[in-house]
Amino acid sequence: MGLFDAIQANLTSPPILFFVLGLIAAAVKTDLRFPEPLYITLTIYLLVAIGFKGGVAVASAGLGVVWLPALAAVALGAAIPFWSYPILRFVGKLPAVDAAAIGAHYGSVSAVTFIAAVSYLNELKQPYEAYASAFLAVMESPAIVVGVVLGKLATRREASSLRSVLGLALHEGLLGRSVFLLVGSLLVGFLCGQRGLDATAGFFVTPFQGILSLFLLEMGMVAARRFGDLRKVGLFLVGFGILMPLAHGVIGIMLGQWAGLSLGGAMLLGVLASSASYIAAPAAMRLSLPEANPTLYLTSALTITFPFNITFGLPLYYEVARWWFGGSR
Amino acid sequence: MKTHPMKLVTIVCEALARERVTALLAEEGARGYTLFSVEGLGAKGYRVADIAEFANIQIEVVVPELVAQRVLQRLSRDLLPHFATIVYEADVRVLRQQKF
Repeated sequence: MGLFDAIQANLTSPPILFFVLGLIAAAVKTDLRFPEPLYITLTIYLLVAIGFKGGVAVASAGLGVVWLPALAAVALGAAIPFWSYPILRFVGKLPAVDAAAIGAHYGSVSAVTFIAAVSYLNELKQPYEAYASAFLAVMESPAIVVGVVLGKLATRREASSLRSVLGLALHEGLLGRSVFLLVGSLLVGFLCGQRGLDATAGFFVTPFQGILSLFLLEMGMVAARRFGDLRKVGLFLVGFGILMPLAHGVIGIMLGQWAGLSLGGAMLLGVLASSASYIAAPAAMRLSLPEANPTLYLTSALTITFPFNITFGLPLYYEVARWWFGGSR
Repeated sequence: MKTHPMKLVTIVCEALARERVTALLAEEGARGYTLFSVEGLGAKGYRVADIAEFANIQIEVVVPELVAQRVLQRLSRDLLPHFATIVYEADVRVLRQQKF
């Protein structure tokens, strides 16, 4: 399968077609709107389902197998803001606090991008380590904390305010609803194992694709409603929002192979590295670094990187992973 | 029926500022509040209420004049510089004075 086929396979899958439908719905200004409680319900379902299945997979693989790639994932997430910061600061000429905040977003992860990648691999029948959901859970917070520290150091705040703000960021990063749900469901899945998955498969496994499609329909509208903000962020950030994910994807795939993951698992680590958080990180930055401009980080993560990743990014990372694993065999 | 003068303070702000505002209200002596999700157009553009975290909320609180003054001062010092917010107060008359 070449790159063209890989892209075509992704663009003709139900979740991605519904995402495009959502983009169109918002662009033509239909009166279609998801009630907010439905949006929240769908996120809860997706996070619980992916966490639960991941927990079951951790139990069957054994913690001895999971710890090394999970540690690599944490390290990569925490490291991304360190090189994103100088690029944003000195190439993009952005204020220090914005560079720190945006770096935090790209080090943190987007659960929906990961879930779309899992569904893409399922459709291609490409095997992967199902316990990769554990990487998703552990990659959300480290970059947020690093970004807040970078931002506070750059704005030269006194140590006491750094401490109180770090407390806020940690609380948001570790106890925000997405991390809590993911880690909680991982634990539940881990404790009940395959028996638990068999008992709940009718709810957590079978309808998953359909619910993901519905959610991406809404996400298409959410992203498209903010396309107007693209004019405010400038060309540099548009380029950053596409090129940095590509670089991070490649680094993630290489690191994944080093940590012993299969092609599918390494691709998922690449997807996590490439994705940018658009819920947890913006919320944490808004509270911990209120001086940073939310239009910049939210627009780059939500209206540039997220749509790019789930449409063209996924097949690109898949092809890179295939090439890398084929080439190094 | 006899009614008593009170101040209604209304705060429309980012949902993310919720905890800060409610904590501030409690500290200054407000004994309750009403909160709802809203959307609308303002200086920072149209705020769509699609993702709860980025939506706007409106908080209404009825307090005695003195508390209202303290609340307004604290809001302008602690909240207005950091969050997209509008605040206004109005005279209202309530039935049971002791509740506020």
